[in-house]
Amino acid sequence: MSEHSAPAPKSADDPAFMLPASLAALRIPLCVGGLIVMLLGWYLANDIGSDGGNFGMSVYLTAAVYCMTIVLGCLFFVLIQHLVRAGWSIVVRRIAELVMVMVIPMGILFIPIIASLWSGDGILYRWDDAGYAAEHGLPQAVWAEKLRWLNQEWFTVRTIGYFAVWTMLALFFFKNSVRQDQTGEKAITDKMQYWSGPAVMLFSATTTFAAFDWVMSLAPMWFSTMFGVYLFAGSILGAHCLLAVASYVLQKKGAMRDEVTVEHYHDLGKLIFGFVFFWTYISFSQYLLIWYGNIPEETEWFYVRQLGTWGGVALVLIFFHWMLPFAGTMSRHVRRKPGLVCAWGAYLLVMHYLDVYFMIMPSAERGNAGGPMGVIASVLCVVGMVSLLTGLCLGLAQQNKVVAVRDPRLGESIAFENI
Amino acid sequence: MLRVSQEQETTGGSQTFYNCELMSENNEKKVHGVVAEYTSVDTLLAACRRVRDAGYEKTDAFTPFPVHGIDKALGIKPTVLPWIVLGAGVTGTATALVMQVWMNAYDYPYIISGKPFLSLPAFMPVAFELTVLFASFGAFFGMWALNGLPRFSNPVFTDPRFDRVTDDRFFLYIDSKDGQFDRGGVEKLLGDTETDYVQTVVDDDSSDKVPKPFFMIWGLVAALSVIPLLIVLKMRVSHSSQPRFHVFYDMDFSPSKDAQQYSTLFRDGRAMRPDVPGTVARGEMQADLDFMTGIDMNALSVIDRPRADRLVRSFNPLYQAEAESAQESKSQDVTQAEKADEGSDSDGDKSGADADKGDSDKPDAEADAKPSVMDTTPWLSSNPLVLDEKVLANGRKNFGIYCSVCHGMNGSGNGLVNVRAQKILAQSWIPPSSLHQETLYADKYPDGKLFSTISNGIRKMPGYSGQIKTRDRWAIVAYVRALQLSQNASIDQISEAQRETILSEQSEIQKALKEKADADAKAAQEKEEKEEKEEKEEKEEKEAKDSA
Amino acid sequence: MSLAIPNGLDNTVEQPGERAPLVLGDTTYHDITEAVCQVAERKPSTSWVIGFLISFALLQWLGICILYLIYTGVGVWGNRSPVFWGWPIVNFVFWVGIGHAGTLISAILFLFRQEWRTSINRAAEAMTIFAVVCAGTFPGIHVGRAWLAFWLAPYPSLNLWMWPQFRSPLLWDVFAVSTYGTVSLLFWYMGMVPDLATFRDRSTNKWRRMAYGMLSLGWSGSSRHWMRYEKAYALLAAFAAPLVLSVHTIVSFDFAVSQVPGWHTTIFPPYFVAGAIFSGFAMVLTLMIPARKMLGLEKLITIRHLDNMCKIILATGSIVGLAYGTEFFIAWYGQVQEEKFAFTNRAFGPYWWAYWTMVTCNVISPQLFWFKKLRTTPWMIVSVCIFVNIGMWFERFVIVVTSLSRDYLPSAWAYFSPTWVDWSMLIGSFGLFFTLFLLFCRLMPVINMAETKATLAKQYHVSNDGDH
Repeated sequence: MSEHSAPAPKSADDPAFMLPASLAALRIPLCVGGLIVMLLGWYLANDIGSDGGNFGMSVYLTAAVYCMTIVLGCLFFVLIQHLVRAGWSIVVRRIAELVMVMVIPMGILFIPIIASLWSGDGILYRWDDAGYAAEHGLPQAVWAEKLRWLNQEWFTVRTIGYFAVWTMLALFFFKNSVRQDQTGEKAITDKMQYWSGPAVMLFSATTTFAAFDWVMSLAPMWFSTMFGVYLFAGSILGAHCLLAVASYVLQKKGAMRDEVTVEHYHDLGKLIFGFVFFWTYISFSQYLLIWYGNIPEETEWFYVRQLGTWGGVALVLIFFHWMLPFAGTMSRHVRRKPGLVCAWGAYLLVMHYLDVYFMIMPSAERGNAGGPMGVIASVLCVVGMVSLLTGLCLGLAQQNKVVAVRDPRLGESIAFENI
Repeated sequence: MLRVSQEQETTGGSQTFYNCELMSENNEKKVHGVVAEYTSVDTLLAACRRVRDAGYEKTDAFTPFPVHGIDKALGIKPTVLPWIVLGAGVTGTATALVMQVWMNAYDYPYIISGKPFLSLPAFMPVAFELTVLFASFGAFFGMWALNGLPRFSNPVFTDPRFDRVTDDRFFLYIDSKDGQFDRGGVEKLLGDTETDYVQTVVDDDSSDKVPKPFFMIWGLVAALSVIPLLIVLKMRVSHSSQPRFHVFYDMDFSPSKDAQQYSTLFRDGRAMRPDVPGTVARGEMQADLDFMTGIDMNALSVIDRPRADRLVRSFNPLYQAEAESAQESKSQDVTQAEKADEGSDSDGDKSGADADKGDSDKPDAEADAKPSVMDTTPWLSSNPLVLDEKVLANGRKNFGIYCSVCHGMNGSGNGLVNVRAQKILAQSWIPPSSLHQETLYADKYPDGKLFSTISNGIRKMPGYSGQIKTRDRWAIVAYVRALQLSQNASIDQISEAQRETILSEQSEIQKALKEKADADAKAAQEKEEKEEKEEKEEKEEKEAKDSA
Repeated sequence: MSLAIPNGLDNTVEQPGERAPLVLGDTTYHDITEAVCQVAERKPSTSWVIGFLISFALLQWLGICILYLIYTGVGVWGNRSPVFWGWPIVNFVFWVGIGHAGTLISAILFLFRQEWRTSINRAAEAMTIFAVVCAGTFPGIHVGRAWLAFWLAPYPSLNLWMWPQFRSPLLWDVFAVSTYGTVSLLFWYMGMVPDLATFRDRSTNKWRRMAYGMLSLGWSGSSRHWMRYEKAYALLAAFAAPLVLSVHTIVSFDFAVSQVPGWHTTIFPPYFVAGAIFSGFAMVLTLMIPARKMLGLEKLITIRHLDNMCKIILATGSIVGLAYGTEFFIAWYGQVQEEKFAFTNRAFGPYWWAYWTMVTCNVISPQLFWFKKLRTTPWMIVSVCIFVNIGMWFERFVIVVTSLSRDYLPSAWAYFSPTWVDWSMLIGSFGLFFTLFLLFCRLMPVINMAETKATLAKQYHVSNDGDH
């Protein structure tokens, strides 16, 4: 404590707070290249399967939901830091703020998904197919009730609503934070803290229903009250992993070298460890309850995912989304090595994709993974979309600082030490 | 080790404290080290750093709360506690998994709520709990063990001023075991820091006797706590001719009635209530008596008219009102008739596979004289159901539910109940029959007879007419026939399409069996040779010994 | 020395960039020792004696009811077909839920470095243990032949030739609750050892000194000991945090693995955990607010502490509200007839009054905590918290009773009514709880002195830094 007094924060114009030029140079190539690769992946996927573009749309949805979860995770991270008046996280909060603004391009990237709903008969969402009920022998009365929730118009309105709420939240917190970079007003922090409570409530309600709509309704008759939490668990894990990776890369390139210390990696490492556990807890609970209850209406979802290749994917998730990272990030020594925390973060970001893939793809083409070509197309599509968003995010970062330079708690964050 | 003389008497654990100058001249007492008192964290930390830099290693600080940074200031190494905890946690997981798998999947397997014996998802919660429990024990007990606690006598406690260490004072201590400990030097070093009080820590001279009442209470509690254990142990090993004391009489003796018991509640004195006259239970309306009994009723009425009449009456609800007044219920009638059948069957049919296991209650002479009712009954020789895949599947399902627990899934008579009974060496257990005996094949044991056995039971096996619907019982008969066929079918009976795969599988199995047999033979031979060799060697050795 | 009057500083207002003090006034280390020790050292106050006598009388009544129950059989309860899990299980889940706040404050807030936990964690942990004791009583006597309850343990039995059924959630529950009780006890005791040493060193009476001396295991405050102690404390906290989640998760499994409509729903685990924390915090506040007044601890348990706890109540209350909504939505969305019926029946069936009591108390009343005025006025906090406690009891009642009373077999439907024994046991369990708590206040250090002093040391340090 007293052995080292905290270094005073650098002045706000210090180059350590700017996006390094080497990264800024990447933004155009990433945007253009990402767009091309994404469209290529989508195009390749469209050729697979016989069901009129269903496979292609599923691949696209997987990529979009993956990006969306991380963006939302970052939004939640920002909200919760304000809610609890956290001090330690100020130095990495701006990264999350930059990512959460990507909710706007995500809204544009969601247009094809809504378009598929309006253009055809159940290209992506099966319930949109008029013949679905007859094909599956569902009672008319049940199906009619179901369609009151799952129909083109209402679904579109809801999706627009979700994006409106998130955009509003993201912009409010981003703009205020950026304004504080200029003015350094403490009142701005107070204002953000004041609104973070209602914001978290809005956020929880919208993400729960977004998870039901976008992912759960792929299997129209299946339901699980836990599903929103399940998607959210992966989402918040992904956000922390992204923060670790992004801080590490930024530091390597020369930004915020004195600000983000081993202590922050240690904390991120702890949170990653904790959320790996939380994800396991939620997904295991969901599985256990459905497995134990053994009611056909519910087991259908896991049944498809236990057969053939999908059974293998499930095992991979158990071993490599839970056991391996759980054991790997357990030790304090690992968490106090920034390189290792970054490596585990990157690894878990890949695993999180597999998790989203496992939620969405088995519903496409009746559980067909599309062979090697299908996998390549899926990977291309998501890599493309991630690159595109990274490019946009770098563009935004270049116009702003990469650290909330005048946050009143910046000093506390820099000086902070784990026990 | 340093010893100093002490002049002043220090009797009676007096509350006086001595300053260091006085102390040094006191009479002989073992010196453990020197302690200095501080009033704030900062002065303590400064002193710690100073002592560390002076090269002292066997030092310690005593504080009312954990002071951060003191491990660096004193050069304390990190603890191994996390490794102990990790070990304990892994032990916990392993214990839980091994325990559950062994208990529920191997030692005492039984099916519950349709879950497999080895249900890993269901074993996870307990595995988690025990991991946490063991790891917490590791952390808790490991910490005390590493700290060397409990330790009730500590030389630093001799100084009454030290009581404030748990209140608001900080102490720095240098142990006399330190390589460069020199009392004067240490006192000077400590005196130079921001302290008002430096004191030598000497041996505790207060009585080390534990007060007597303590032992008395401890002994009394220990003695009393053994008593219940002894009582339980005695109860376990001793026998008594007295019936045990029933604390809760109505729990031990339930007021509900068992089957066939007497009751004063009804006029007819029976606890079991017959069907209401003139009613038929749902799904039980059956006009076809052949189907209901497994007997060709037309033929029976020629051979044994009274029995046929009895059966007609017992199965036809329209007769039941009449039967009721005649004090002849369906259950009684059927029981009587079939018990008779059963008895005569097992006694009379000497060639029957079950003869050796049959009841020996009946006198042999009587049985020899009369031919068995079971043999004379005109059983239906074929299954009245139209056999198709659906019927067989139904038979298989019901066989699995009702029959397989004793007869085994393949009908060889080795079901779970039997396995369990053999394992615990149950005394009165009669092993269930194998269904693959020639005497039970369709030519010797017609379908109708098999149906009747399922319906009414045989020997220890109870009748299942109450549990299994008639149609399902016939389905079971069909399935049993299929099981029997499965053990004796020739390859020609298999359809062309399947024949090839079966032949290839067969050859593979035979090959594997042969290989195994060869390997076994070889191993046996080697073993024999080895034994021979050893024997020989032993002999030689013995001879050598003897000759010596 | 008096700590009765706070010095007027409003520590609920925090300027960004500065941390408001958690210990008020010009308090020294010694003042903290005095403030906490006097609670146990001075003569018991009249209010304590009266409270203790009432609680103890209720405890006796509980004991009599238990004896009557064991001697007569569980038929003395209102549990009838089809509601065989009546009040005893409602009470069990209620108390286990109460028992969640202590370990949450100690473990999870510790891991999140929330320093304001230090002055409330001890009492909350004690509450946890007493609540688990109350909880454990109910399934223990519900098994009917309570003296054979040891059959639940996997011990090699020569008479039975069998092992427990590990595929049953009820057995998981046995392991979960007993592990939770044990670990909470270790955690509580370990945290208390340094403070027991303070009691030892202050005691003037030989016997008292010997008793506290034994309990404090010869603690000397050595830095090496402190280092291992802190490590062990952090490790125990790291285990207790998932443990606390697992316990109510497993309690929720008791219901959710079944196929009873209204029980079988996947949101149960997180929803039960949130509900447990919610009710636990409400109970901590209900107890701590009168206690801090009576014991004169207002400088240590400040308005800021209360404010923070109210915020947690608001957050968990909202999560619970969201879970209620999700359940209702999915019951409709899933379009399974039985589920739809179960939920309509909850809200508009014969138990509508229980359901709407629950919603009012659990979802609506904590929303009052959006107003700072309410979060900082002790008597208002207590009133809301009492409503929350009632609401959370009703939540368990709604779950257990409404679902069971309308099961798959309409001919068996029946209305559940409790008997006088049910009522007596619920009230008696509060007697048990308060008896233990009041004894704790007299015999043990009610506030974690060592940690509070460490917080104070940090506060000194920060203010010194400010001077330079």
